[in-house]
Amino acid sequence: MASEPWRQGAREVYGYTEGNGYPGDQQSLRLRRVSSQVSNQNYPQFDWNPPPAEKDEEGNRGQPRDLRGSPLPMALKRAVRQVQQMQVPVVSSRESWKRKKTKSLHKLKDNARGWLSFVTLWSKSLQKIGGNFGGGVQSYFLFLRFLVVLNFVSFLLIAGFVLIPSIVFRSVGDSLVNSTGPKECMEYDPNPQGLVVFYNYFLNLLSGTGFMEYSYLFYGYYNNTTVEDSNFSYNIPLAYLFTAVFYFTFCLICIIARMGTAARVVMVTGGSAVGNYSMIVFTSWDYGCLGDRATKLKQKNIHYRLQVDLEEESIKKRAAALTLGQKIVLYALRVSMCFVSFGLIIAAFYGIFVATDFSQKNSGEQGILGLIFEYLPSIVITAGNFLVPLLCDQIALIERYAPSTTVIVALLRAVFLRLVSLGVLLFTLWSQITCVGETTVKDCTLCQYNYKVYPCWETRVGQEMYKLTLFDLLINIVVLILVEFPRRMVVDNWSSKLAQWVGRQEFVVPANVLGLVYGQTVVWTGALFCPLLPLINTIKFVLLFYFKKITLFYNCRPALKTFRSTTSTFFFLVVLLFGWSLATVVMIYSLSEIRPSMGCGPFRFFPSMWSIVPKSFYNLSEITQEFLFFIGSQAFSIPLFALSCVVMCYFVTLASVYGKSVALLRAQLKLEGRDKQFLVKQIEELSRQHQILKHTAGAHD
Amino acid sequence: MGNKQTIFTDEQLDAYQDCTFFTRKEILRLHGRYHELAPHLVPMDYTNEPDCKVPLALIVNMPELKENPFRNRIVESFSEDGMGNLSFNEFVDMFSVLSEMAPRELKAIYAFKIYDFNVDNYLCKEDLEKTLNRLTKEELTPEEVQLVCEKAIEEADLDGDSKLSFADFENMITRAPDFLSTFHIRI
Repeated sequence: MASEPWRQGAREVYGYTEGNGYPGDQQSLRLRRVSSQVSNQNYPQFDWNPPPAEKDEEGNRGQPRDLRGSPLPMALKRAVRQVQQMQVPVVSSRESWKRKKTKSLHKLKDNARGWLSFVTLWSKSLQKIGGNFGGGVQSYFLFLRFLVVLNFVSFLLIAGFVLIPSIVFRSVGDSLVNSTGPKECMEYDPNPQGLVVFYNYFLNLLSGTGFMEYSYLFYGYYNNTTVEDSNFSYNIPLAYLFTAVFYFTFCLICIIARMGTAARVVMVTGGSAVGNYSMIVFTSWDYGCLGDRATKLKQKNIHYRLQVDLEEESIKKRAAALTLGQKIVLYALRVSMCFVSFGLIIAAFYGIFVATDFSQKNSGEQGILGLIFEYLPSIVITAGNFLVPLLCDQIALIERYAPSTTVIVALLRAVFLRLVSLGVLLFTLWSQITCVGETTVKDCTLCQYNYKVYPCWETRVGQEMYKLTLFDLLINIVVLILVEFPRRMVVDNWSSKLAQWVGRQEFVVPANVLGLVYGQTVVWTGALFCPLLPLINTIKFVLLFYFKKITLFYNCRPALKTFRSTTSTFFFLVVLLFGWSLATVVMIYSLSEIRPSMGCGPFRFFPSMWSIVPKSFYNLSEITQEFLFFIGSQAFSIPLFALSCVVMCYFVTLASVYGKSVALLRAQLKLEGRDKQFLVKQIEELSRQHQILKHTAGAHD
Repeated sequence: MGNKQTIFTDEQLDAYQDCTFFTRKEILRLHGRYHELAPHLVPMDYTNEPDCKVPLALIVNMPELKENPFRNRIVESFSEDGMGNLSFNEFVDMFSVLSEMAPRELKAIYAFKIYDFNVDNYLCKEDLEKTLNRLTKEELTPEEVQLVCEKAIEEADLDGDSKLSFADFENMITRAPDFLSTFHIRI
């Protein structure tokens, strides 16, 4: 047994060094580890001598923090603290004032943290979910909570700048521009005529027509009022436009801020491919797991993960061992299956196009049939989003990718399907509103949009988005009541082999997250045309939280294949960003290219929504105009661009330098280990030779 | 709040606050939990620092630890005598390290102690096998266990001595994104 002579009798020594000149070094505790041997010396000894007196101003400020993070047993920590408190350092009065301030700041921060955890929405529920179902499911609910808060704050924004001024100034203000333009374009009468059957109110609520159409819910109700007072002026169309633009920017900033924290973790760990087994063994057990059922499940989970990893290894080995002929067959199969799945998705798009076309052409129907026609695009989109991923899953079985690749490919296909189907719906609407962009077609010549079918096209688009949102919520509730609860009752009470094979519902995180992203994209697209949509969406997501929580605890068993919680948060936000960009494209196009309706809305007499900005620009004071001109001119923007290039280059260089030094340190670590082994061998060799020499010398004597 | 508690002196509470990641309220609550474990053993009045230890068998019955396959090792790692009998100091220390505010380095030190079953300051193959068996409730076949342990050591061992020292372990932990959130017990 190779002994390691220099380790014998050693003790662990901890030395405190002050953070002198290292501003990022919060833990100024440096460990000098030499391993100990004795088994009951389970804890390190402490070096009672104070560190060599280094005259620095930070002094003992960092030490209360360090004490918490030091690995000493509690009794020792308290003793250290007592010693520290007895060492009254001689400092100037300014220094002691600074220290008192930092101490009270720390206390304040601790209190704030306690208060914040009390006020945070749903924190107890999320704890319970995380303990019982794991981090993957909890990340879905965290994402949902983030969206609820985002929507609510957006609603406050819109209410503050658009809704409340509209309500207040409705009767006060006066119109900006007098009515000019063809009379036919300005005909818009959304109020229903004559007797209305009572159930029509319910149908109107669901489809946004009738009494709901001419209300604050939709774009058409807002007027282009401006209020000019001696020291106060408010321009509603301008406010509407800027609020919409600011809303999008605000959402982008929130998403990127949240991505920043998730991305930092991903960067630090540098990709999850390497070091799988050691990480699974040491970091996969969730210590916060509560309850017998959750623990057994976690154990099955880890077992499954290890099996999957081992299986992936064997698959990789097998794939590397394929002959050329087999490889060609496999790749040909994969390419053809790719085409098949693509074809399925295109078929879904065509279905949506036809359904939207049909729905818009038959929008005059009354009664239940009319309601079904109104909801036809939503129905086709939902059906497509349900069927196509199922079929793609079956296709994936034929493609025989590695399990992790299969998950990613399935997810990408589903994302593509959802977002582009929404895009197809919007494209169909656009083609009908603007006669496929040709303003010379008969219907569109007069007002540059199809005024006969769409006297107020913005409200119509808003209504479509409103219907999509409502339908999404309804479908979730209906599936809950009609599919998930009965499934559980069947599985629990009917003990046949079929019931056991079907099993309880699994809470599949990726599919649910895609549903959330889709819902949020619809809201973003529709926010310009239906200002109260964020409020409706907040309520919808709150209801969804409670419904999903109920179904999780009553109907579901946790999924065997888990989703990694940290990388998955990042992935959700990336997908959300895709949705955001789709909505931004729609918004920019509507603002600049399509002529606003002449019969309704705040922009009714402008050639495009954006044109109010140049017009109002000239009402600003001279100095502001010159300042803004200067910012937009080349004399300012080119130096700014050059400066930001320089700053970006600096950060990129810094990042690459850090990466290189990390790699260097790792290599150094490996080298030192090998050096150690070499030295050990040398010492053994030498000691053996020494022993032999002594022996032979003794024998000679 | 308003009522003056008589369990600890203010000085003691300040000391606990400075040495752990808990607030005053949480420390008092922890004392309540500690007292519940052995009401006859644990005095309600801690002002004169009584020297009492709750035995291992009672501590591992706490609901937070009951189902944890590593509960014995966790309690042993924090006990001074290595047998798992915790005084209140050690009890608070344990939950402080396992709370969500403890830094990664601190957690790594104690995680290493927990997984080191034979307490030799190295994670050798036997330690890994024991860990793995507890993780999967002995459902893996012996060959699979061998394979996983070999691969794990191969991945993390940097100095080539076919066992993991603390430096290897810490290096591997820094690359694990979930460690902070999984090595966490809420109390």
